Amino acid sequence: MTSTAPIMTIEKVSKSFGGIHAVEECSFEVPPGLITGLIGPNGAGKTTVFNLITGFLRADGGSIRYKGEELLGLPPHQVEARGVVRTFQHLRLWGKMTVLENVLLGCRTPLGENVLTLFLRPGRVRVEEAAARERGMEVLRFFALEGRAHELAEDLAYPEQKLLSMARIFATDAEILLLDEPTSGLDTDSLQKIVPMVRRLVEHGKTVLLIEHNMELISHLSDEVVFLHQGRVMARGRAEQITRDPALTEIYFGA
Amino acid sequence: MPAYVAHYLVMVGIYTILAVSLNLLVGYAGIFSLAHAAVYGIGAYASALVALKLGMGFWGGLVVAAVAGACAAALVGIPSLRVAGDYYIVASFGLQVVILTVFMNWTDLTNGHAGLAGIPRPRVFGLVIDNPFKYVVLSLALAALTYAVCRRLTGSAFGRTLRAVREDEIAAQATGKNVVLVKIVITTISSALGALGGSLYAHYITYINPSSFTLDESIFITSLVILGGTERLAGPVVGAFILLAVPEALKFLAIPDTVAAPTRQILYGGLLILFMFVRPEGILGRARAKSA
Amino acid sequence: MDLVLQLLATGLVVGSLYALCSLGWGLIYGTTLHFHVAHGAVFALAAYYAYVGQKLLHLPLPVAVAAAVLAAAATGLLIDLLVYQQLEKRGAFRTSIFISSLGLLIVLENVLAIVFTPDPMRMDIGALGTAVIIGPVFLTYLHILTVALAVAGYAVLAAFLKWSRWGQAIRAVSSSPEMARTVGINLGKVHLLTYAIGSAISAPAGILVAMDVGAEPFRGTRFVLLASVGVIMGGIGSIPGAMLGGLFLGLLENLGIWKLPSEWQSAISFGVFLVFILVRPRGFFGRTIHSAEI
Repeated sequence: MTSTAPIMTIEKVSKSFGGIHAVEECSFEVPPGLITGLIGPNGAGKTTVFNLITGFLRADGGSIRYKGEELLGLPPHQVEARGVVRTFQHLRLWGKMTVLENVLLGCRTPLGENVLTLFLRPGRVRVEEAAARERGMEVLRFFALEGRAHELAEDLAYPEQKLLSMARIFATDAEILLLDEPTSGLDTDSLQKIVPMVRRLVEHGKTVLLIEHNMELISHLSDEVVFLHQGRVMARGRAEQITRDPALTEIYFGA
Repeated sequence: MPAYVAHYLVMVGIYTILAVSLNLLVGYAGIFSLAHAAVYGIGAYASALVALKLGMGFWGGLVVAAVAGACAAALVGIPSLRVAGDYYIVASFGLQVVILTVFMNWTDLTNGHAGLAGIPRPRVFGLVIDNPFKYVVLSLALAALTYAVCRRLTGSAFGRTLRAVREDEIAAQATGKNVVLVKIVITTISSALGALGGSLYAHYITYINPSSFTLDESIFITSLVILGGTERLAGPVVGAFILLAVPEALKFLAIPDTVAAPTRQILYGGLLILFMFVRPEGILGRARAKSA
Repeated sequence: MDLVLQLLATGLVVGSLYALCSLGWGLIYGTTLHFHVAHGAVFALAAYYAYVGQKLLHLPLPVAVAAAVLAAAATGLLIDLLVYQQLEKRGAFRTSIFISSLGLLIVLENVLAIVFTPDPMRMDIGALGTAVIIGPVFLTYLHILTVALAVAGYAVLAAFLKWSRWGQAIRAVSSSPEMARTVGINLGKVHLLTYAIGSAISAPAGILVAMDVGAEPFRGTRFVLLASVGVIMGGIGSIPGAMLGGLFLGLLENLGIWKLPSEWQSAISFGVFLVFILVRPRGFFGRTIHSAEI
């Protein structure tokens, strides 16, 4: 375990639907500057945890603190404003918009989005838009997508779409990135593109919390691991420890 | 220019304002509204009333119309746009019905069925606009202004956000967009602009009554947008040019007066259905590859 | 007090009509998520089917009514089969489905206006028009029949949905179309059935109104609007909610005119609707709307 203070703390978070306890008294910490993997069998509640952190679902109880601030109860756009962003398992790209536009939507353009400043401060809006475009192209270069900038997002190959979904949130300058199954649906060749990318995010100073299904990838991809089962945290620790634990492997494959 | 061509162009200008502002909602934000005729009417009545009862000039009337339209939209939009789903369709449907009821029954204010007559002509830079040719200039100028405003909106970061909200609002929320606020803002702007069309109409015809602002009128404005295409801002303009020529064309077919109105409605309704099947993107839209 | 009782009674009758419309529209919306405004056209058509049956084909009233209900069910089914399902096959957006529905409503209503003129077409209702006086309240047998039919309609629908195999299939699709497909339910057939049943349950409302004041081409628009309001207030996806929502609207409209002029009925209902969704958007019995299936 690292000795620096965690950047995010999830404490005794619970969520039920009808009679089903999707997440129960879930508690774990996310250390800064590392990749933490959230793993567990299907239905363990991993995506639900993401939804709870980012405000798409409201937790029944508990606390979610990011850099000391309480996130519980905030709507998604305010969670994002605090510096917490996520990708989606089904990507949710804006297929009918260009690759660059998808990234621009992640960039900060408050003047251009405010109707008053749009009409009353056209000069400053123009400057802001130009800066955003430059930043957008920079981000695309980081993800090796700059050649596709003006193509429609829906025309990209699947691995590139996955990269675009990461590029979009990277452009927001958020410090913690929640990646929902970044490697799912990819063949071994495409994995070569994605896995190093995730490492580069951390080298760039970001903190990553990711949901990962593939036990083999976990040890390459994560520093710390949180094992979830039936909505509860079963184990926490360094990736090598967790993935070698026979009891946990049993649960993972048995469930 | 013959007088009837001038009249046609004035109406094209008015309907361009109405249809382009509706397209902001339907085409860019993906929000369907059945109340655009009500908004049109609010603009007309607001402008007419301040001119008749307070002696306010045309420009003042325009501002009052826009504010009135904006308020009506906000009143209905704020409760219904907070919730995902089709609530706004129902709310706009209801707004349309209620506004028409107000026009017909608040007789002290609106004169009910009899309507308001004697609306004064506009004065622009000291010049009185009193013949169709001068109206053409005024109408097309206002239409161009409205178009320019919409262009600025759709070409900006705000416009980008609108399209993102339309395509996938969950992703928009996750990317930090306040989706509810965006929807409320665009609904308000769309209505403010639509109300301007009403103001122009009131000062052109100089007589207004509730029958011009019914649900049928909302359907007509919708068909302008669908015909021309929702993807491009110019789509509704094309729709306006084409559909406003129809009543003239129908006159040539010698359809008896009693069935003229329902016949026109069947045409507009049929057009909506036909276009959904044959060309949903409208005349100006790019034909999309049919997806599964 | 006498006036209030009369208004309550009338409210119950009108509420029963709205309830029948809400039940039908709500079933369709909850299952297919189509904003089927053309339901208003089916409502109007049902009235004319009955009128034609009685006045032009000289069928006895009960036969004309039954035939009209069946014809309305067929109409609703055909609308889904020939229009909505065809558009869905072409990958249409939900807005396109709505626009086509709007187009259908306009076309059908105006065709009726041309064929039958906009004037009300009256039917012979014989003994049903006889007055019934209960204390200070004045009603006709037709009004009492209306309330009875609404209650019966609700009971039959609820029983069907709960106990029959097809009813359960409809509930499964309503709850989650993906899951229903996975367990082998044919969505196309379920949709057609839903349209048939939804149209059949709202048709009596159109017919009863026609029997009371005559068939009119444009009345359906107002009824489908109120049906959707009733469904939202009752809670989308809830059958008891739709029933309650419709009744509530009818009572609201009529009690509203106790103190306010009757032309303001719609304004009152709508105003209450807006306040309602501010305070409780999910309606009486709706599920809490979870922001998205992520």
